[in-house]
Amino acid sequence: MPEKKPSSVAGSTSRKIEPYLYLAPATIFVILIFLYPIVDIIRTSLLQNNPNGIKTFGFTNYTLVFQDPVFWQALGNNGKLLLSVPILTVLSLLVAILLFEHVRGWLVYRGIIFMPYILAVPVVGTTFVYLLGLNGIVNTLLHAAGLGFLVQDWLGSVKWVLPSISVVIIYREMGFGVVLFLARLMSLEKEILEAAEIDGANFWQKHVYVTLPQLSGVIEFFVVVELITMLSWVFAYVFTMTGGGPGFASTVMEFYIWKHAFAFRSPGIASSLAVVLLAVTTVLIVLQLRLRRRSLEEPA
Amino acid sequence: MSAKSFRLLSIALVLVFLFTACGQAAPATGSTNAKVNMTFWWWAESDAPGADAWMTETVAAYKLIKPNVTIDIVPQSTDTLISAFQSAVTANSGPDLASQWATGPTLGFVWQNAVLPVSDYVPAAEMKNWLNTNENTYNGKVWGASMYLIGIEIMYNKAMFTQAGVTPPASGRWTWTDFLAACAKLKAAGITPFVAGDKDGYNGAWWFSHVGMQSLDSTEDLRQAIIGNKDFSDPHYTGWYAALDDMVKKGYFNQDVMSLDLSQGAQAFSQGKGAMAWGTDGMIKQALTDLGGDSKVGVMRTPTYGTGKLADAGNATQSTTFFITKWAKNPQEAANFLIFMHSPDRLASWYKHTGVIAADARFDRTLVTDPVLQQMMQWETTGTQIWLENFLPGQVDSDADLAAGQEIFSQSGSPADVAALWQRSTSTWRNQHPDELTNWKNWQQ
Repeated sequence: MPEKKPSSVAGSTSRKIEPYLYLAPATIFVILIFLYPIVDIIRTSLLQNNPNGIKTFGFTNYTLVFQDPVFWQALGNNGKLLLSVPILTVLSLLVAILLFEHVRGWLVYRGIIFMPYILAVPVVGTTFVYLLGLNGIVNTLLHAAGLGFLVQDWLGSVKWVLPSISVVIIYREMGFGVVLFLARLMSLEKEILEAAEIDGANFWQKHVYVTLPQLSGVIEFFVVVELITMLSWVFAYVFTMTGGGPGFASTVMEFYIWKHAFAFRSPGIASSLAVVLLAVTTVLIVLQLRLRRRSLEEPA
Repeated sequence: MSAKSFRLLSIALVLVFLFTACGQAAPATGSTNAKVNMTFWWWAESDAPGADAWMTETVAAYKLIKPNVTIDIVPQSTDTLISAFQSAVTANSGPDLASQWATGPTLGFVWQNAVLPVSDYVPAAEMKNWLNTNENTYNGKVWGASMYLIGIEIMYNKAMFTQAGVTPPASGRWTWTDFLAACAKLKAAGITPFVAGDKDGYNGAWWFSHVGMQSLDSTEDLRQAIIGNKDFSDPHYTGWYAALDDMVKKGYFNQDVMSLDLSQGAQAFSQGKGAMAWGTDGMIKQALTDLGGDSKVGVMRTPTYGTGKLADAGNATQSTTFFITKWAKNPQEAANFLIFMHSPDRLASWYKHTGVIAADARFDRTLVTDPVLQQMMQWETTGTQIWLENFLPGQVDSDADLAAGQEIFSQSGSPADVAALWQRSTSTWRNQHPDELTNWKNWQQ
């Protein structure tokens, strides 16, 4: 084997390093923005308070979190909110299909349905506080329509507070679902749908057996995104609408993390709660990545 | 370098150090004209509407006598009053002056070494005029300045009482039996006896501070349960919830109590939606305006419920404490501003803007002309004054005090449930905060 000249060795080395140098700024950015906070939260979650004020490392914070009944209630409330994902998905699909069928004024409806999604959550939350109060507009309308027996203290009753918050979340998130599904519907090959119609398929048969299978990838994506939303993006709804009450009836994980981090002065407990939430959410993100990969592998 | 040169250099360095040190110390005396910029995280408007306008005027007035001092007022939100300052503590960077609710919340930051003792900077001759300084006294030092006194009593609608045949207490205070009898009469007359809002949980906390306190003998009595030496599920501490639960079950509160927050509950009284409600001085003043003066609105003290030594104690509190933070670039100048806030002109202006009495012995009592508010002032400045909620750790206040009231008002928990909640929440706090627990154990009240 001919011996390489030193200069060519140096050139080869610099060529090998060069791509990494280009990647370095982005890598450093990712580490600083994403990795460092996660590492720091895990570190903080392991720092436990002691009576003498000195902090030591250990898993005490996790033990205390798992012993706290409010933690389990908050996690359970997040779990209950997850139940609204199927409703949200079905509603979004139905509306998207109706719009796809070009009902009269569908462009206007699309704009109206998407509008709540561009509103800030606190705006939506505060508005619904006035709508859903015992003497609010919803109950006033129910009384006026002779449906007084349906009147409830929607946000003040333990029984109704979570379903009410779910409705508000669905109201806002549906805009995202409809636009997402509609975009996919618009890209479908019309010939396939026309062929189904020629073969005698009615409205439901056409969409259940032809349209939905082609939307499976985007439906899976939407479901996973909404699952993550129900776990990690509902703080603003709860904060503005109920403050976690009555009692702990609408306390969710994010809200409980916030209280521990800032109101209760316990960053260790807040961090351990955050790590638990991160773990649950990570499972869903992995699921999402797998689903996306599968949908990409689907034949066009 | 020769020995001589070394000595000369050493002397020069010492002189430079001394001059530098003097230069830094000078502003602390307040005798310099060097520019001073201070930031004040200010909260009072929710307690005393008009407070923000008063502060703007006060800063401008201070500028006239101290042109070198610029004070930047940053109004704080009620929802984030604790969390914003906690973030500052975590970041080790914050304002020169800050506001915080008295006692527990303030001392919580004292124990995190984020606060300077105001008594180190304000002369004793001045401070002896400040009322309720005991609310923030720890280790023999006063850690914050009071500015105003808030008392909370029951305001009542005289016309509704007459309509239902209810006679107000001649002594200014009913027994619990008399109170329930009056509620029954009002309800029978188709009038909501007591209007309140507990969506935010604070109305429940007010019941704790008024009725819950009456079974206790001292704040030390409460502290023993907080640190775990006594049991919160003991009726001595939480037995009074049965009385509140009884009132809810009998329909003595407005049905939308869980749809309204605290201030909306008071507004409902001002709108004539009920016969009685809790009211601060400001809320009572508003009701007097809205309902037509003292011929329409009266005040009474909380009915007698318990037999503890605190059964007769008043509940006036400074509510908010203003303190010098450890980041204050010029603590003495910050203290000077707090002293200025207590100058006679500022005290009078405070009342003019807010209608809330100033927490200062020099406050001109003749400014209060309304007989109802005069009565409030007398109650607020006579005898022992304790706002019991201030003596709870923040986590216990939130997870036990506020939550328990909500469970009773929404009827989602029984008195036994909320008693267990108090015990469990306090136990959780003790386990999660062993360092805070040490401070509470060492805090002799």
